Amino acid sequence: MAERDALLSVEDLRVEFWTSRGTIHAVNGITFDIAPGETLGIVGESGCGKSVTALALMGILPRAGRVTTGSALFGDRDLIQLSDKEMRDIRGREIAMIFQDPMTSLNPVLTIGRQIREALETHFDMSKREAEDRAAELIDRVGIPSAHQRLRDYPHQFSGGMRQRAMIAMALACKPKVLIADEPTTALDVTIQAQILNLLRELVAEENAALIMITHDLGVVAGMCERVHVMYAGMFMETGTTRQLFARPRHPYTLGLLQSIPRLDAARKTRLHPIEGAPRDMLRPPAACPFQPRCRFEVEASSQEVPPLEEIERGHKVACFNPVPEDEWQNLRKQAVAP
Amino acid sequence: MVGTFVFVALFAPLIAPYDPLHQDLSLLNGGCCPGPSAEHLFGVDPLGRDLFSRVVYGARYSLLIGVVSVAVGLSIGLLIGAVAGYAGGWVDSVLMRLMDIMLSIPGLLLAIGIVAALGPGLVQIMIAVGVTQIPIFARLLRGSILSTKETDYILAARSIGIRGRVILSSHVIPNSISPVIVQGTLALATAIIDVAGLGFLGLGPQDPSTPEWGTMLTDTTRYLQTAPFLALIPGAAIVISVLGFNLIGDGLREALDPRFRGRA
Repeated sequence: MAERDALLSVEDLRVEFWTSRGTIHAVNGITFDIAPGETLGIVGESGCGKSVTALALMGILPRAGRVTTGSALFGDRDLIQLSDKEMRDIRGREIAMIFQDPMTSLNPVLTIGRQIREALETHFDMSKREAEDRAAELIDRVGIPSAHQRLRDYPHQFSGGMRQRAMIAMALACKPKVLIADEPTTALDVTIQAQILNLLRELVAEENAALIMITHDLGVVAGMCERVHVMYAGMFMETGTTRQLFARPRHPYTLGLLQSIPRLDAARKTRLHPIEGAPRDMLRPPAACPFQPRCRFEVEASSQEVPPLEEIERGHKVACFNPVPEDEWQNLRKQAVAP
Repeated sequence: MVGTFVFVALFAPLIAPYDPLHQDLSLLNGGCCPGPSAEHLFGVDPLGRDLFSRVVYGARYSLLIGVVSVAVGLSIGLLIGAVAGYAGGWVDSVLMRLMDIMLSIPGLLLAIGIVAALGPGLVQIMIAVGVTQIPIFARLLRGSILSTKETDYILAARSIGIRGRVILSSHVIPNSISPVIVQGTLALATAIIDVAGLGFLGLGPQDPSTPEWGTMLTDTTRYLQTAPFLALIPGAAIVISVLGFNLIGDGLREALDPRFRGRA
């Protein structure tokens, strides 16, 4: 990766939730940065803290959630320290977010146009007329035909793909510098997924915005991202360029994720390899490698302390006491491919 | 049905053939009480007043009392519900326990208590019935707001930096209000019954000549055997108007759902 000035740099972010069952350690010290025009992937299974990270950065955690430590420098401002009011000016204007489920993320009683205009009217001193024109422009840009008429429609008159396009239009309304996409394609069918991803890629390139892709779909990551962070139990297990991670995964969890994807070139009747066991109970703060109970590469140290995230090659970091051998994945693949 | 009801209430003086207060005792010469006839559609009451005219004028009172008392209950209830639902925390707990206390007293009993405290009369009845409706609306709006607050689109609205107050007024409330409106029309029906009930118990308007349906029922109990129509007709008026408001409530429930909008 070329060294570019970071637009947003997150340092040792920790988020906790207070519940009746105890404190949930949702995010346990993650560090990353992102430059303009870059697409960064954060992958992990459900409940590993991906979405919470996004909400924490936006400052819209649910009431029970608190950022306990960490900073998120955006320019010279720390998003974590900003007051509610200052944060409100940044939300939507500088950092915007696309949500997972377009079916529920639009207000059913307001028209699409009204909802897109709202962001514009909140952040710019736009008249209704100007905002309307800009909203039509946006709707047109995200590929919805006859923009002016569609602005008067209600969300239920839109299909799932169109709603997600409308959500993207809303997020892009104020030309934000950072766009956080939280599983933007999970709720869509495959053909629409490809269209939405293409659209996002184009728009990010056009605006030179930074895109944080949060997903559990490694295929999406492979197609979209330059760098990937693999998250597990609120920590980064492995980070590196997409090429590095897909060619030489070094963390057992990354390997497990890759092995669990069906392959077209696999021999017939080859079985998929799920990762055994269930995700870690997040009620205790991490005291050992969180993946240790499910890991076939565990060593003694794994159950005694938290492995630090260490660089093993340029730009490629792994948090593991016993990283997977460099050629393990390639060998496993060769075995699986039909002779 | 409600349309007829409101129309009758509004144009009572034009519809009613006689003055509802006018007593024509000569009509009672043949004994009490002359039943329905061509001149007097619903017959004549024991004081020689035209029952049809009285029922027609009664619609005015019922509608007035119903609307005012629901308005009282609705406005205060909405305020409490919105504050409790949006603020949460201890504010919510205190307000809702208060509402629970009010709800634990049977509505009519509470109304009787309030009338007893304020003294009988038209205004007092409206206040009493209104107050009994407060907790119903407050709870309803609070529950509705709580579930709306957790939806993704509220999160999405926050994520584009909209102010809390604006979110409450333009996102949360419009999505929470429809059950309240439906409840409002249903409450109108309950209010009419409650008012008639209070009237029947003699806590209604103090002027006995006021053509209020509940009061009319009381006045005629003595004549039930000789002239049952005297009680049946105001009773039927109550039933029809209450049924009408209930049906309107059901209709509104469907109409207010934007998914049904523009498809009828």
